[in-house]
Amino acid sequence: MSKLNSLNEKIWNFFASVDLAVALFIVISIGAAIGTVIPQELDPEAIIRFFSKFMSFNASMKAYEIVNLFDLNNVYHSWWFTFLLFMFAMNLIVCSVDRLPLLLKSFKIPPKLFDSKILEKMPLKREFELSLKKDEIFEKLINILKRKHFSVSTFNTDNSIQIQCKKWSKTRLAVYLTHLSILIILIGAIVGVFFGLRGSMNIIEGTGSSFAISDSGKPISLPFEIRCDKFEVEFYENSAMPKDYRSYIKVIENNQPVKINGKDSFIIEVNQPFTYKGFKFYQATYGFQPSEHSEFRFTFLDKKGKEHQIAVHFEEKFKIPETDAVASVVDFSPALGVDEQGRLFNMDTNMINPAVLVEFEQNGKKIKQWILSKIPDTWDTPFGKLKFNELWGAQFTGLQIRKDPGVALIYIGSILLCAGLFISLFLRPVQYIIELGDRKVTFFYPSLKGAVLREKEIDKIIQELKEEEK
Amino acid sequence: MSYQTIAIAGLLYILAMPVYIVYILTKSRKIGYVATGTFCLGAVIHIFGFVQRFREMYEINHSFLRSIPLTNLYESLVFFVLCLVIGYLFIEWRYKKKSLGVLVSIIAGITISLIDLLGISKQVQPLIPALKSNWLLAHVTLSFIAYAAFGISFVTGLLHIIMDSENKKSFKYIFSTFLLGFMLFMFLSVIIDTTTASNPKTVKIFHSTLGNPSSFISIISWLFLLILIFISWQYGGFIKKILMSFKIDADFLEDITYKAIAFGFPIFTIGGLVFGAIWAEQAWGRYWGWDPKETWSLITWFVYAFYLHAKFIRGWKGSKISMIAVAGFIVTIFTYLGVNIFLSGLHSYGSM
Repeated sequence: MSKLNSLNEKIWNFFASVDLAVALFIVISIGAAIGTVIPQELDPEAIIRFFSKFMSFNASMKAYEIVNLFDLNNVYHSWWFTFLLFMFAMNLIVCSVDRLPLLLKSFKIPPKLFDSKILEKMPLKREFELSLKKDEIFEKLINILKRKHFSVSTFNTDNSIQIQCKKWSKTRLAVYLTHLSILIILIGAIVGVFFGLRGSMNIIEGTGSSFAISDSGKPISLPFEIRCDKFEVEFYENSAMPKDYRSYIKVIENNQPVKINGKDSFIIEVNQPFTYKGFKFYQATYGFQPSEHSEFRFTFLDKKGKEHQIAVHFEEKFKIPETDAVASVVDFSPALGVDEQGRLFNMDTNMINPAVLVEFEQNGKKIKQWILSKIPDTWDTPFGKLKFNELWGAQFTGLQIRKDPGVALIYIGSILLCAGLFISLFLRPVQYIIELGDRKVTFFYPSLKGAVLREKEIDKIIQELKEEEK
Repeated sequence: MSYQTIAIAGLLYILAMPVYIVYILTKSRKIGYVATGTFCLGAVIHIFGFVQRFREMYEINHSFLRSIPLTNLYESLVFFVLCLVIGYLFIEWRYKKKSLGVLVSIIAGITISLIDLLGISKQVQPLIPALKSNWLLAHVTLSFIAYAAFGISFVTGLLHIIMDSENKKSFKYIFSTFLLGFMLFMFLSVIIDTTTASNPKTVKIFHSTLGNPSSFISIISWLFLLILIFISWQYGGFIKKILMSFKIDADFLEDITYKAIAFGFPIFTIGGLVFGAIWAEQAWGRYWGWDPKETWSLITWFVYAFYLHAKFIRGWKGSKISMIAVAGFIVTIFTYLGVNIFLSGLHSYGSM
């Protein structure tokens, strides 16, 4: 039984030790650093290519075997890195549980008289001569110390008075706040891993979807539907470089559009995600995918100057208002260009320069004309001005979707971490032991840390004492 | 123009140096006031120049939170020196000790005049899209203040090790003098690299010296590096004597090393890690992604956490603890510059 206890004790002490903490700092750092050097890719070819920059092909094959054995191409999700973080958490918990009660107890223990032998061993000692008697000095000194927010306890001995004064002693608890906050951050990260999700969804303009595909390829079903009413891209002039792109979306829940702050239409842009019920949607990509439901939208200006809106599908005949002509869209190009021989061709699948070929039919006579949405000269037809506005419903928007219920914990942990660090590093506890004799005061300070500043404070207290003496 | 104002500040720092020396030799209170006064005037003009630069940036970016002049090497160094100067003035006021003044005014003066002479790009540039965020000001400024504090701890830590070692063959002594020689060489090399580079925007460190295409110059450079290291090793005792004559003792250096880290560590935590995580959450959709810059910031954090635990819990003292401070700043420099030069990742805009 006692053997078991001693084993328990050994394990406990192992986890409570600072040596373990320091060793983990170093090992985790080295592990994390390896991950920044070796490419974190699962494709073996990429790793071998990386190593063959420094060594022969055979050696890099061997290097890959080692990488594969220790998951060095996936360090941050490997079993050993997770294990190190687990050890780190255990270390934090055990060492805090081990030390905190002792600290709390030390606050409750009534202060004891310091033996003069111990006092003489303290690293900082300052002696001052005064012209007053013991009791008079005592009274004045206590006043000064209380004014400086010290908590004071006194002991009378045969021929002297010992004063012990303390300030900021409770700030030693802040270290445990820091430890706790790191645990909260780690728990937040675990919550994110187990209860969070990441995925993507592509929605064609004019349609909706309540499914996304997770990064690992599994389907995610959302408790609501996202409809994309409209998707827009702006390009830098004469190039396929997008300047800005955005989706106009609606959230449909129980067959009703959801209203937030009185609005039911929302914009998702790069750097401006949209959040609903813990799900965050980021604008990621877009693409061109025309389908049967895609609509060509025109504005027709008849000869009297009246505007008509027209929306038709591909090859669907429509009447030109105020005339007896009929027209239909027979071809479409998202980026119409002209080559050196003057032939038309399609440059790109991005909607850089959308154009439609419209066939007009009047009294059995057919004519064809290209209409480009960006070039007003092409809008003039024998029947009036036909402006091509857009091909609606032919693009899809690619949204990144993320849900991480751990973020709140991360933020709480971060705030506590900062608070803990500031308190424990900026408000160090101060303790003086003061021996009073007739016409004599001696200050002792139990540590060398910050001795220079402590000497200054002691000098100031003495100066105030001397001023009151006059 | 802001860089002319900053050059005047550099001149004042250089002027303050001989006054500090005279003060240490004569101990005259009046001369002490003149020294501090000159140095403070330099600092005020420096701050004015910084504000001027801020306004020039503001005219381009039209946003207060996005106009912090810390977007290239010139601005970073100017800000770094400003932090150093203000940090020193605080120490001088708090400890009533002017002995470090000589050292700081040399470093501040020479750095400012060098970056002015070298023609590192001083033009105000518009922000690249990746940096257009309101978190830029808080994240970058606080990270830099922390870097500057770590820089101070590095200098005092290195000096502390040299002062503390008696034996020329001890590892710590060899390590710190080696580092001192290497830093000196790197300093000289950066000057030559910048003056000989055809395009000041693409300066490659050591390109003109160790990595020179001509193998003759390359070998000479290596030899020169070794000689510098040897000199620094051989005459380390001389540095000790100089410091002694400035009334700087080992305990003082150890205390300043600790104070600088105790100040920099929480600032780095809030500005570098926490604000960085919030920004990443908003821009990239995750607060932590093991990006090289993020990872190396965490490693930097671990090294200084190691320092604090070794000091408070294990009670390490003397040059042993200063070694960690020195190692910490080497990691910090790698986080700041090395990650951008050697590793690729999302933070790859902070180039020279």
